[in-house]
Parts: sequence; structure tokens; C-alpha cells
Amino acid sequence: MADPDLQSFLPLKTQWFHIMLSLAGEEQHGYGIMQGVLERTGGKVRLWPATLYGSLKRLIEAELIEESDERPAPEVDDARRRYYRLTALGRRVLNAECDRLQELVRAIRVSQIMVTE
Amino acid sequence: MNFALRIYRRLAEAFPHEFKLVYGPDLGQLGEDVVADVARRHGIAGLIRLVADIALCLAAEYLSEMRRDLRYAVRALIKSPGFALVGIISLGLGMGITTSVFSRVWNQMFRALPGVANPGELVMPQNPVSYYYIEQYRAEKSLLAGAAAFRNGVPFNVALEANGNGRPQRVFGQLVSPDYFAVLGVKPQRGRVLNPKMDKPGDAPAVVITDRFWRDRLNASPDALGQTLRLNGQTATIVGITPKGFKGAMPIVRTELFVPVTVSAALASELSNDVLHKHDAKAFQAIMRLAPGVSIDSAEAGLDTVTRRLDNQDPSNLRRADKGRRVTLLDGGTVLPIPRAMKPVVVAFLGVLVGLVLTIACMNLANMLLARGAARRKEIAIRVSVGASRFRLIRQLMTEGVVIAMLGGFAGLALAYGLSVLESQVRLPQAMPQDLDYSLDWRAFVFAFALSIISGIGFSLAPALQTTKAELASTLKEGSAVQLRGYRRFGMRNLLVVGQVAGSLMLLLITGFLVIGFSRTNNFQTKFDANTMYLLAIDPVRDGYSPEKAEALFEKLPERLRAIGSVQSVALAAQAPFSVASGTAQLTASKDPRDASRTLKVVAKETVGAGYFATLSERMLAGREFTERDQRIETSEDGSSADGSNMVPLPAVLNESAARGLFGNANAVGQRVSEDKQSYDVVGVVRDLKHGMADDDDPTLVMYIPLTHRDFANPPAGGVTIMLRSNAGADALGGVRREIASIDPNLNVFDVRTLSEHLELSRAYMRVALDTYGGIGVFGLVLAAIGLAGVTAYAVARRRKEIGIRMALGARKAQVLRLVLREGVALVIVGSVLGFLGAMAIVRVLSSLTSMFADSFNVSVNDPLLVVGAPLLLGALALIACYIPARRSAKIDPLKTLREE
Repeated sequence: MADPDLQSFLPLKTQWFHIMLSLAGEEQHGYGIMQGVLERTGGKVRLWPATLYGSLKRLIEAELIEESDERPAPEVDDARRRYYRLTALGRRVLNAECDRLQELVRAIRVSQIMVTE
Repeated sequence: MNFALRIYRRLAEAFPHEFKLVYGPDLGQLGEDVVADVARRHGIAGLIRLVADIALCLAAEYLSEMRRDLRYAVRALIKSPGFALVGIISLGLGMGITTSVFSRVWNQMFRALPGVANPGELVMPQNPVSYYYIEQYRAEKSLLAGAAAFRNGVPFNVALEANGNGRPQRVFGQLVSPDYFAVLGVKPQRGRVLNPKMDKPGDAPAVVITDRFWRDRLNASPDALGQTLRLNGQTATIVGITPKGFKGAMPIVRTELFVPVTVSAALASELSNDVLHKHDAKAFQAIMRLAPGVSIDSAEAGLDTVTRRLDNQDPSNLRRADKGRRVTLLDGGTVLPIPRAMKPVVVAFLGVLVGLVLTIACMNLANMLLARGAARRKEIAIRVSVGASRFRLIRQLMTEGVVIAMLGGFAGLALAYGLSVLESQVRLPQAMPQDLDYSLDWRAFVFAFALSIISGIGFSLAPALQTTKAELASTLKEGSAVQLRGYRRFGMRNLLVVGQVAGSLMLLLITGFLVIGFSRTNNFQTKFDANTMYLLAIDPVRDGYSPEKAEALFEKLPERLRAIGSVQSVALAAQAPFSVASGTAQLTASKDPRDASRTLKVVAKETVGAGYFATLSERMLAGREFTERDQRIETSEDGSSADGSNMVPLPAVLNESAARGLFGNANAVGQRVSEDKQSYDVVGVVRDLKHGMADDDDPTLVMYIPLTHRDFANPPAGGVTIMLRSNAGADALGGVRREIASIDPNLNVFDVRTLSEHLELSRAYMRVALDTYGGIGVFGLVLAAIGLAGVTAYAVARRRKEIGIRMALGARKAQVLRLVLREGVALVIVGSVLGFLGAMAIVRVLSSLTSMFADSFNVSVNDPLLVVGAPLLLGALALIACYIPARRSAKIDPLKTLREE
């Protein structure tokens, strides 16, 4: 809550959150991000291609992610594709968003208990 | 699936260049990778979703690009405020004038009558007709669904309290036939409107008031219905209130109440002399609704036949032999019905004027954008070389043009609004209050806005295309001034300058002709100090006087007033001097009006009392003027005798032009002239007191006829005007008011003003017209000068190097100056010749189309001042505009220029 810079990004747009979550672990290319989101949400959230790239463009403009110039090992590398990774700012924003969501989940739990009682 | 993929690829291709450079391949690839999976999991809906997604993103991408372009354009414009300001002012002036003209024409000529049902079905004859004829028209069920009679601009002296106390107010209304509201399709907002079933002759008088009357005079009182008023001294009951917005037919004359024609002549003196039954008392306007499926042309032909039949029933009717059309129908559903044939002419004239203004303004903008584009070639070349697409750059440049155009549009709206406020403050010197609508129409807003966007796009596209065409290598190698191909001969800029010069000269000449023409026909001078003459009006009949009592009053009033110390002379007239003529007459000098060889002259008719010319300090050129005896002549009532030839001839005074027009150089005094059934003996000739507007066939011919008891019994809408000359500096007015009050305290004195105030008012209208036209002309001139200066400055900048080399080789400053000026002068000469020819052609065409312009063009087309002066003025201004920037060429330092390489 301390960093006002972070607060201006919150709450994150759903697509942005999913994309950044996919990039939290490792660098990814567009297709990978899309697949990752599909798997993580059990096929419920699909990032449509144009939305995905539009979001990537804006995330880069907001300096939350950047294009990676390191390539993965040659045997898994797809030379035609661009890879993306979180920036330091992006990581902090993602953390802040996760905290915010956990806070929210806790609040929901409390009220659920109150309701069920 | 393949189809969806094809669309997907096509859309992916359409993304902005910059986006595609980075994400294009990935985006295309991803689509191909997922399409099979999407089709499997989501079926057809998924494919649609896939395509919709990319389409939406495409739009969003372009929008964000546009936002960036806009930001960049605003920044660029702020950096060169002079350029932006000139562009905005040029376009603002152009669009302001256009919008103002557009909304005025729209409001006054083409707007549908407010508050009526289906205005497109309403028609009205061009000329007034008799009530009897309207009743006959009404019977033509196959042509007309309804026909009502009305007479507008009827004054009523209204006292709000029924007991007769309280000062009466002069209110203008309409006398209407009871089916008036049914024909117009107007429902009351309260109470009822008049209708033939409830308003019969002999019933207690009922009036319907407008929303305006209700609000302004009754404070929107909820008990207004059923309240009684005193109208011209008679009791009448308010039965209904018309809806807000409804202003009656022909609403340019203000109407506040509607009185049925079934009331007695004692209430409305307009109804005296049995006008409702006399076949030839053309006292009413007809407003008619076409039967379903009947066109205005077939109705016109049908009514023409009916009118011909009716005319033939009257043996004394002079028009029986007339072969011409007797009924001309106008669009009754418009605010100001004008002859249908006139509309295209009016539109064409205004179109030419407005088109010229706009063209000049837009050419200026285009010229400036072009010059600016040329100056920015290097910047653009650099941007292209680092990867900007041409399309992107064109978009960028056009955004700048559109931003300027839109700002210009706003400036134009502000100007148009200012003009409309200015115009609404002008009052016309007429007896009846005019209700001209000067408010800006929302259509005008849309019009101006569309115009600004279109001109912004249109006039920045060409320069943008040209600017971005530069070849990279050569542009980057050379300095900022790059040669444009084909500049010397027919370069776009040269064409623009020639067009601009020609356009502004045309504008200057046409507006100049109008200005000079108008001011010539409106030039009136008094031979005395106009501040010493007072004008006031009274209308005793509408204050409840009987005709006999009114006559007696007018008989003694001048003497009583003359007895006041400071009053020198007094005269009565049916209208204020130098006002718009109250009527016209077709006169012939022949004794027999049915003489085939007769020459007809249209003259303006003015009704004036004894001593009128003496009071105006006008000496009679020949003969005498009217005396009190002429005022007592027993005139037969208008058209009462079946055989008109027996009517008593009236004395008449002609002005010089009329005397010459009718009798040539022969002595007019003692001659006889006739109009229809009435004949006149010319008793005097007077100098031309020029007046009026150039709106009728030949307004400078005037016939004066004496004020008689008929005018006292049934005064014109402005009442009877009393003209008083007083000793300079004396307050005659107080004495006059006291004197009139001592005769009868209830007599309503209105329209009190000095002659100079009155003249000021009459000139105000012309002054606005002159200011507008003159302003348009000057505006064109200034714009053309700005344009030329810009072109020359640009030419100098472009040829710096060349001039530097020339000077290094020994060219003198004068030679360099001449070199630069030569180009400008050539352009100005070509433009002037074209403009002169164009203006002459337009004047010819307009004059031949209508007499409206012919009058003012005729007096001015051969004016040497204008024909020679305007081109000279333009030429001189153009030379100055060329010279100022050209002088800079002489200041070029050859060393510095050559070192810049």
C-alpha cells in the first residue's frame, strides 16, 4: 500500500493479470502465454490473439513487461517468436495485485461464514 | 474455418504499420496455430469470436494512434502559433460567415412553419385575395383539404381589465376565418381554438391568444381562460391559448392573438365596408391545405381556372382580358413564403458568395499547409528513413489540418453567434413589429462542423501527399529547401494563388456593386436638422372612437398642436416619412384605363396630409401640395361602385421621377393618371425624396395621395403619424403629450421618436447589409494578401541558395528584388483578369435572373470607382504583400548562405 506508483495500476485488468501471471515463472512467447492461461483456468479463460498482442503492446508501453533478448535453449526455441518477461516494476505490481486479491478472498470467506451461520 | 482464417489474415494485415512491424508475424502465426483448436472447442461461435476480437482490436489500435497523432499535432501547432493562428482565423472567418448566412437563409426562407401539422401540404397564393374568393376555393374539395383566410399585422389596442381601466397596449394579431386552426392543424394548449361550429357571426367575440401573450401580458395566469379583454374598446373573451412555438402563418410579422372574422366591424375596423362579402375586396391572405395526392402545380392550375371563372362574373373586373396566370401558389408551410421560382436564384446567389468566401479561406489553408510541408521535408525524410510509413505520415499531417479546421470551426461558430446577436438587435423601421428569427439553427452547427472536417481533410490531403513524396536520399542530402518539381509552370501553389486572387477580386467586385447600389438607392437627406422633427402616432379608432369622432379629432388636432409655443409646423401622414412604402400602384397616363397602348408604371403610394411637404421643408417644383380641403374630399369607399369609371378623381402629387416616367418632359400638373378604377389629377410635383429599399420593381417613382376620412376611420397598422417640427432645443414633446391628454386622456400615443432616430433605424437595416457585404469583400482581400505574402515568403526561402549565388556573382539588390517580385506580379495579373471576367459574368447572370439584384447592379456596374478601383486596390495590396517578404531576399548574406551547405 506504500507505493503510490503501484496503486495506479490496481486493480489490474483481467487479461493483464493473466498474462503477467504466466510470465511470473519464466519468459514466454505469445502462444505459450495463451496456452498457459488456458491450462491454468481449465479452459475457462481464453486470450484471443488480437487481444493478447494488443495487451502485450500496452504492457510494454506501461513498462510492466519487456521483450526478452535472451533466447531459451536452442532445442525448445522457436526462432520466429518474440519472448516476454516481467520487469522489476511488473513483478511488484503483480505482487501487489495478488495481495489485493488475497485480501479480497479473505473478506469473502469471513462474510460467507457469517452468512452460513 | 478457412474462411474465418482468411478474414483473420486480412484483418491482421490491416493493422497500423508500426504495430505490424513488431507484432504482425506473431499475430498471424498465433491465429493459424489456434484456429483449429478454437473450432474444435467452441465451434462456429468461437470462430466468430476470433474474428470479432481482431476487428475490435484493430479499431482500438487505430484510435490510440489517432490520439497520439492528435497530441502530436497540437504540440506541433503550439510550436508555430503564427501559422496556427492565421489558419484558424482564415477558416473561422470563412465558416462564421457561411454559418451565419446559412442559418439566416434557413430560418427565414426554408424552415417549416413552427407548430403546424404537415407544413409541406400548405400553400398560399402570392397575392391577397378577397374573402369571397377564399370561400369559393374552399369548395374545391378535389384540390384542397381546406382553405382559411387570415390577415396579419392587425393592430389591436388591448386593455387587460374588462372595466376599461388601465392603459391600453398596442398588440398585433391576426384576423382569421374560424377554420384557420383546423387548416393549419393546430391544437390548443389550453381551452379551445376557433372553429366554424362555435364561432358564428353575431356571437360574443372570442379570441385565442398565443403562448407569448399569455406569458408576457397575463403572467401565465391559470385563470386566463374565460377572462375578458377590451379589444379596440369592445369586450372579448379569451377562449384558448395556442401551443408554445406556434406563431401563426407568416410569422415574420409578430402575432400575439387571433380574432375571428365573425366579430363586428366595431371591434376590428379592418372588417368594415363589408369586406367579407365584396368580391373584389382583396383584403385577406389565404392559407390552404392540399388535398391528399394533389401536387402544388395541379392545385395552382385548378385554382387559376376557378379564379378566372370568378373574375369573369364581375363585369367591371379589369383583369378579365388578362391572359396571364391569376394565381401563383407559394409554399405556405415555410416561415417566409417566397415565389418558388425565386428559391433557386436566392440559393444560387448565396451559394456563389459563400462558396467564394470558403474557397478563399480553404485555399489559404491549403497554401499554408503546403508551404509548411515543404519546410518540414527534412524532418519527414528522417522519419521515413527510421521506419515511419508514408500512410502514417500523411495521417499525421492531415491530423494537423483537421485540428486547425476544427478550431477554425469553433471560431466560426463564435463569430456566427456574434453576428446573430448583432442582427437580432437591429429593428426595422416598420409599423408592425417584426419577428425575424436570427437564432442559430442546430443544422448550422452540423453544417459548420461537417464543413470544417471536410475542408480540414481535403485541404491537408493534397499537401500531405506532395510532401511525403520526396525522395529520401536527395532530401537528406540537400538543405531544407528542396526543389518541388513543376513549380515554375503549373505548380499547385501557383494555381492556388491565381485562384485566390481571382476569387477575392470577384468577391470584392460583387459585394462592392451591392454596397454601392444599395447606398445609392438609400440616400435620403433632409433639408433641416432631423433632430427637430418629432414623429408620434395615434390610432383613435382602435381606442374606441367612432369614425365620425375620429375624423373630428383629426380635423382639430393639427391646429391645437400648432398653438403650442415651440411647435413650428404639424402634418399628418399614414406612414412616417422615409419609411418602407406602404403600397404600390400600377399607373397609366392614359385617360382610358382599358387603352391597349397604355404604358404602365409601378409607383410607390404614400398617403400624406395637408402641409406635409412644407413640414419637411420641401418646395414644390410645380403646382401645389395638399391642403385641408383635400383631406375633406368625399372618397367613395374602396371598390363600392359596380362601375368604377364614375369614381371621383383624387388629387395627387408626383415626385420628379414619376412625373418624368409618365409624362416625359411635358408639364405633369393638370394631367390625369389612372390606377384600376381610381383616377388622379396631378396637382403638384416634388423633388425625389429617395427612400425605401431596392426591393420592388422601381421604387424611386412615388405618388402621394391625400389623407382622407377613410384613413382616419380605418388607420393603417402604424396608426396615423403626426409629424411635428419644433424650434431647435425646445422640448416640444412634453407640451404635445399634455395637449393630446387634455383632448382625451385615454388616447394612446405610441411610436414616439425624432426623425433622426427614425432615419437611424431605417439605415440600420441597410448598414447591417452593407457591413456584411463590405465585410465579406474586405475579408477576401485580407485573406488573399495573407496568401500572397505566404507564397512569396516561401519562394524567397526556397531560393535562398540561388539568390546567394547570384549575389556572390555580382547581382545587385534591386535585381534580386525584381526577380522575386516578377513571379508574384505575374500571378496577381493573371488572377485579376480572371476574377474581373468572372465577376462580370456572375453579375450578368444574377441580373438576368431577377430584378432583385438588377436594381442595385444596374446603378453600380458602370461605376468607374469600383470597376477600376477594386482591381487597383487588390493589385496594390498584393504588391505590398509580395514586397514585404521579398525585401528579405535582398538581405540575404551570400557568404552565410553558401556556407550553410
